[in-house]
Amino acid sequence: MQAALDLADQGFQVALVEREPSIGGKMITLSKVFPTLDCCSCITTPKMSAVAHHPKIRLLTYCELQSVADEGPGFRATVLQKPRYVDAHKCTGCRECEYACPVTVSSPFDRGLGAYRAIRVPFSTAVPQIAVLDIDNCFLCGKCEKACSAGAVDLLQQPETFEIAAATIVMASGFDLTPVGAKKEFGGGVFRNVIDPLMMERFLAPTGPYGRVLRPGDGKEPTSIAYVQCAGSRDQTLGVEYCSRVCCMYAVKQAMLISGALPMAEVTIYYMDIRTFGKGYEQFYQNAQAMGVEFVRGKVASIHEDAEKNPIVKVELTDDGRIVERTHDLVVLSLGMLPAYQSRGAVDLPLGNDHFVAVPAPNASPCATGRSGIFVTGTAMGPMDIVDSIVSAGAVAAAVSAYIRERQDGRTAPHDQQEALRA
Amino acid sequence: MSTTKREGGPRGEALRSLREAHGATVKRAQALFREQRQMQQSICQFIRDTPKTVPQIAAEIGKPAHEVLWFMAALKKYGIVMETGMCGDYPLYQRSQETRE
Repeated sequence: MQAALDLADQGFQVALVEREPSIGGKMITLSKVFPTLDCCSCITTPKMSAVAHHPKIRLLTYCELQSVADEGPGFRATVLQKPRYVDAHKCTGCRECEYACPVTVSSPFDRGLGAYRAIRVPFSTAVPQIAVLDIDNCFLCGKCEKACSAGAVDLLQQPETFEIAAATIVMASGFDLTPVGAKKEFGGGVFRNVIDPLMMERFLAPTGPYGRVLRPGDGKEPTSIAYVQCAGSRDQTLGVEYCSRVCCMYAVKQAMLISGALPMAEVTIYYMDIRTFGKGYEQFYQNAQAMGVEFVRGKVASIHEDAEKNPIVKVELTDDGRIVERTHDLVVLSLGMLPAYQSRGAVDLPLGNDHFVAVPAPNASPCATGRSGIFVTGTAMGPMDIVDSIVSAGAVAAAVSAYIRERQDGRTAPHDQQEALRA
Repeated sequence: MSTTKREGGPRGEALRSLREAHGATVKRAQALFREQRQMQQSICQFIRDTPKTVPQIAAEIGKPAHEVLWFMAALKKYGIVMETGMCGDYPLYQRSQETRE
């Protein structure tokens, strides 16, 4: 979004292709940012709105990039518009269809902890505010059609493909977490009270599924919460040998937020190293210690459950080599980052050894990929936090701008005849 | 369960084709709906007058506590139940007054 806004503000036409029904990515699901503890929604929602209303940005949600072909000095992208089964021009986002729908399904926005209806507006601050029907969980009862006073529900909608001519392409495909069940010994995906960090973000967010922090196994308000660091990074057995850079800081941030939300709760962070590399991060870490968050240096060997479904963490303490077991109400596995980019033949780009999009000359051209005219930004190129992602977005906008200007014949073509495609 | 009345013309034909094309998913969604309707009725009956915790509801209706919690989140979101306080470490849920039949 930031790269699109920066380019559009310079006068370039931008087509923003989003796979999901709403823009906002993972950031809109988060509670607060480190180290300032500003509200994520308060930062992201205005950006989403600015993208939607910018005259130079063409917002294409619920679309999949199918292929990219070289065409002249630029590219021709083929994009699939997936059917919403709702007329985007008629829908007012009133959610009457959602309230009428009788089928409840898990909400990916809430990491499956919460629910919405088979037809719904994806979340309260979604952009655009247009409903989408999950046809795989619909039995075509027609209640949504009857409830919609705008006549927007269109059960006969079909997928459509269209093409975009673009001078450049910016890959901003983001990240996924390492699978929560990847390390069997930690019980992720098996034990209900062993969760991933994005679940905790939803608990801590004001719009979360329970409106408070409850453990998902039985709805208990936890009084003892543990974090297991490096549960999905720096691990050759997972094929993720790199540090994901954000896990230490999001664990510290969440620990502080939990201390605020549940003042009586004890929060323990089991770690190998705490890496606080950014501006103000070390002070943030020290603040967490001062607030009473317990930092235990050691290597967690395994997690098992007692009869009350409480996770028991078995850890080898680094300081004295003892192996101890400690019982908690809830355990958060600090999972790492994997690239979300799966080209499926859509864009042929060289990848690095870490499987993120390769950047051949990171010092000279930090956003240029191995294919001329295609750029990369944010966590598509490697693990980074929000601050670095925003910096990266500004850098890629400058690089794209310079690239297009250099190729303009005699520099006579107006900017708005060029289109930068952000996928 | 197809509750829409049969329509004629090209649109009616297209809707019938859609139902045939999605026959398997329609059946699965119908089964899901029936299960959810029964669960909602059981929960709402149990917490109609006295607020209960998730483990208490789970024990009463014979469902796992995590499933009940997920369902309570949905019912709360759509205003069918509300939180009324705490019982130890567990929130209490009760049927919302305005949605009672």
